[in-house]
Amino acid sequence: MTKTIKWEKDFDRVLTLARAEGKMVLLDFFNPL
Amino acid sequence: MGAVTYPNEKVVEFIEKHLVPIQVLFDSQPLATKFNIQWTPTVITLDEEGKEHYRTIGFLSPEEFIPSLMLGITKCHFDRGKFSEAIEISEEILKDYPKSDAAPEAVYVRGVALYKSTHSADPLKEAYKKLQSEYPSSEWAKRAQPYRLL
Repeated sequence: MTKTIKWEKDFDRVLTLARAEGKMVLLDFFNPL
Repeated sequence: MGAVTYPNEKVVEFIEKHLVPIQVLFDSQPLATKFNIQWTPTVITLDEEGKEHYRTIGFLSPEEFIPSLMLGITKCHFDRGKFSEAIEISEEILKDYPKSDAAPEAVYVRGVALYKSTHSADPLKEAYKKLQSEYPSSEWAKRAQPYRLL
């Protein structure tokens, strides 16, 4: 099965996860067009 | 990015291992205003407090995107005085992606991080020489020119 990026949507949750996992955050602003 | 780079297996694996990814629409508030988003795609590397350390604008291929993310992580460490971590990742960029657009800046950041760690000017001079010999047309070769006088 092909792996895909598990994008988060909630900014505060992302920061909480980053602190817990000792990781940095990748924030992508995209345009669906 | 969504059609080519993000589905790439190496990109997926790198992000899963090193980053917490969040994707939002370019006009999503309050983030679009907070980060002054004018172009898409804009990809920003933040620390765990939400502070920006690096951004790229526009499409990047998988071969360019991974070293770009590595450089973002390098900058996060550098900006917070974690020089040994910044040196380690910048050296990985130079080993694994020496021909990437991120490589010249990695040379520069590595040199400055070594200087800040050792208080010796030698790493700055070495960075200048490497940039002149291997990346002479890069903007980082120009920025390192004062180091030739050290």
